[in-house]
Amino acid sequence: MSVFKGHNLFMQMMAWMCSLFSLTVLAQSDPTGEKRVTGTYAITNATVFTSPGHSVTQATIVIKNGLIEDLGKNIKIPIEAREINGDSLFVYAGFIDVAGNAGVGKPATPERPNDFDPSDPPHEIVGITPYREVLDDFDAEGEEIADWRKEGFTLAQLVPKGDGMMPGKTAIAVYGQKGSSNIIAASAGFSSKFDAIRGMYPGTTLGIMAKWRDLYKNAELSAEHQILFASNSGIIRPEKNKVLESFFPVIDKEVPVIFEVSDELETRRALALQREMGFNLVLTGVSEGTSLISTIKEANVQVVLSLILPKDKASKKEIEDASSETTARLDRVKEAYKNSLKLASQFEKEDVAFAFGTQSAKSEDFMKNMRLMIENGLSEEGALAALTINAAKILNMDKITGSIEKGKLANLVITTDSLFKKGSQIKHVFADGYLFDYEDTDKQKEEKDEDDPVSGSWDYAAETPEGSSAGMMTLKKKPDGYQGTITFDDPEGGGKKTNEMKNIEWSGNTLKFDFDVDVKGMHISVTVSGDISGEEYEGKLSIPDFGSFPFRATKTPDSNHNI
Amino acid sequence: MNKIFYIVTAFLWINLYPLQAQSRKGNVLIKNATVLTITNGVQEETDILVENGVIEKVGKGLSAPANITVVDAAGKFVMPGIIDAHSHVGLEVVNEPTSPITAEVWMGDVVDPFDVGIYRALAGGVTISNAMHGSANAIGGKNITLKHRYGTSNPEDLFMKEAPRTIKFALGENPTRVHGRAHGIQPRSRMGVEAVIRNGFNEAIQYKKSWETYNKAAKQKNSTAVPPAYSLRLQTLADILDGKFIIHCHSYRADEINMLINVCKDFNIKNIVFSHVNEGFKVAPELAEYTMGASVFADWWAYKFEVYYSTAYNAAILSKNGVVTSINSDSGELIRHLFHEAGKTQRYGGLSDEEALALITINPAKQLGIADKVGSIEEGKQGDLVIFENHPLSVYAIPQMTFVDGIKYFDIKEDENDQRIKVSATEMVETVYLKEDDHKCMHGVEMFTETGNFFSTH
Repeated sequence: MSVFKGHNLFMQMMAWMCSLFSLTVLAQSDPTGEKRVTGTYAITNATVFTSPGHSVTQATIVIKNGLIEDLGKNIKIPIEAREINGDSLFVYAGFIDVAGNAGVGKPATPERPNDFDPSDPPHEIVGITPYREVLDDFDAEGEEIADWRKEGFTLAQLVPKGDGMMPGKTAIAVYGQKGSSNIIAASAGFSSKFDAIRGMYPGTTLGIMAKWRDLYKNAELSAEHQILFASNSGIIRPEKNKVLESFFPVIDKEVPVIFEVSDELETRRALALQREMGFNLVLTGVSEGTSLISTIKEANVQVVLSLILPKDKASKKEIEDASSETTARLDRVKEAYKNSLKLASQFEKEDVAFAFGTQSAKSEDFMKNMRLMIENGLSEEGALAALTINAAKILNMDKITGSIEKGKLANLVITTDSLFKKGSQIKHVFADGYLFDYEDTDKQKEEKDEDDPVSGSWDYAAETPEGSSAGMMTLKKKPDGYQGTITFDDPEGGGKKTNEMKNIEWSGNTLKFDFDVDVKGMHISVTVSGDISGEEYEGKLSIPDFGSFPFRATKTPDSNHNI
Repeated sequence: MNKIFYIVTAFLWINLYPLQAQSRKGNVLIKNATVLTITNGVQEETDILVENGVIEKVGKGLSAPANITVVDAAGKFVMPGIIDAHSHVGLEVVNEPTSPITAEVWMGDVVDPFDVGIYRALAGGVTISNAMHGSANAIGGKNITLKHRYGTSNPEDLFMKEAPRTIKFALGENPTRVHGRAHGIQPRSRMGVEAVIRNGFNEAIQYKKSWETYNKAAKQKNSTAVPPAYSLRLQTLADILDGKFIIHCHSYRADEINMLINVCKDFNIKNIVFSHVNEGFKVAPELAEYTMGASVFADWWAYKFEVYYSTAYNAAILSKNGVVTSINSDSGELIRHLFHEAGKTQRYGGLSDEEALALITINPAKQLGIADKVGSIEEGKQGDLVIFENHPLSVYAIPQMTFVDGIKYFDIKEDENDQRIKVSATEMVETVYLKEDDHKCMHGVEMFTETGNFFSTH
């Protein structure tokens, strides 16, 4: 709760009155009326986690000019400060995303030339564009930025979104107020991934590995040539090549290669290239590979884990009348699922100072996934470190962010309870000294029955001989069972129809129901029956005298509380 | 003196330890077996002692060193681990089908140690395979010789590091279809394939020369020599010309086999093995005289036009004409019973047991340049062994145990339903390819050409 003391209230009133007369009074300085009243804030009496494992109670933080101006007890609050009463609040350093795409657009691929030769395509067509700046495709006001900021993220390394093995240079931006560029560093890293554009060279991982070696070696030679040319006469003019020149800071170890990997074998390939060439390496999107931890440590490579966890299709699955072989196979899937939740804790146990990247992840899954990792062995301190100080160190930004210290950027997350506790909510986020408030809208979310796998909205698709048919089913729990409606393509043409679901039965994992379809006066009763596993529903749709067809549905995110 | 020696040895040992740990070596004593040595006849009721991964002793009544595993193989047959000179098992990617020459790519980059196909090969007694690039390009990629040390997540544990390097070439319909017909670039005909190869070698000669000139100049005092551009592709071709590679060439027709022999003669290339070679029987004397041999199928043909003129007598005719001949799988299915494939040469061509077994042991070892290390049961060779119930050339033959470097990687009695190393966290049933018997030679290549027809991909 923020309480305005006397002077702040006065300021507020003034601001309100000024805005009434803004046209005359403030026309020149703030025609929009959006300028904030004060950029100075004081969070008082809060529990402040200055760094993972270190907290101060009843502390005050003063924020000014986008920086943490002061911190501690018995601190003088500047007169212009807006005060946030932190009596019951917890303050953490703002989260840092080491590899994200929020606000980043995909650059257009140029047209293929008429004499296009797939065995030797132009670099910009085959995704070898390491000279590109991600900032050229960055929208600081992109909606995804607001989504991630709402989850506590205040600073990110932006990774280019283009196709191909070397899409461009990364940059570092703060998630501050619109109107500012919010850029902290351009050309921060050299982005790479095992992404081949099919049908042209390099078209597979094989070609990508070879091309990496070829380009790197030629970049070294090109640098050598340029040095010779600069300091001698009688040297052939070096041919300018912007692809090769983009490697120079990598060769000089001024910037790291930000290598996105999707699995253990890709991780090994990136490590192999690093071993051969010796560049600084940051692995991003890491989602498996505990057997690689010692190799990663020896190579002194930075690790950024993916925030995506696999869907839980297995852990609650039971197969009726399963043979021992089937059961054993299912147990292995369950084990594999469990192991992927444990990955972060394994890295923590081995003292790898990993961080997280949001690339391809959904912001609404963020806290749920963090809690899953914590339930599976990751310590809360470890989780916080990964989101703050470890990330700052990987980005070489720990002088300005990553913990709550005097002089660091005013990037803060303010919660109603201990950060990872169920029910704890983010109430305010400071980014670049700007305050973002979040309403208490999520209260109902926590009250919903999370164990009810049926309630919610489901997008379904059914494969019939006439083609696939899709729609939505909405289910709701009532004291005497479930109620629901289903939409479907009107067989009489044009648009969707909605009908009640009837005879809804739910037992074990099986959900069964009927609904009616009217075709030219005929009344057809359709039966759907299948199993729910997590967010997936798989079964069959039966039409009398017609047959059965595959029916699949997926729960739409957060649909439980939309009804 | 002695003290220093020990200190030095201890120091070296510490440094080498991680390397040794990477590739495990085992000890085993196999007793009372009928030993099919391949190079030294059949030895009844004989023991084989493997220590630290190497065959120490072959003889009767060997006493067991302390703490060694003893396997009683009375009534059973032991042969050297089967070697497959042409395989795509354990690879995540097979083709880089985007350029007529891709000599720069290396299959070692895409080895998949989780491929359960490696275990299936072990269950068929195969201990070594040449994991090859596909046949989409006239000059494909560098291959990797694998030892089937299944159970690791590190691809490098599977590499047979002491094996010489081999590289894939391909002639005929595949490269002309992929590049000529689909993309309208050279090669569009068999003549084009020859031109692509010759041009590649000629460019490599110039490339090598430019680097030699530079390296010489760079050695001069105060040199300001400018380095030429680097090309991993041309460097590899230059290495072929320098004899640092064994070419394994996908081929079918006699005329194109002759063509490549002539190309090799012109460029003074000695190390070449022809693969498939369905018309090899027509050019057996030439193959015998000039090449390191032919690696064939027992009886597989007619899957496309250039493979109609074929015979099951091919392997026997080649063998009898002095060609080093092997039988390969090129398939995750055939690799499980190469001993049956070898047995077919006794029905078609009447090869002796020793000649037939050589097709899947010492001969492929020669073609891979590893015959001094594997391919027969001899003291000093690596302990790659298979124990069979019934003679391996019998239709009743069943492999019982397979050893690589003296370590048991397959035992029919310990065979589990699920031998996968890695399991998906979300897939209840993992994808199974029912047509596993199809060649993977053209794996990853767009199957449809501009005519929209589906072409056989072998």
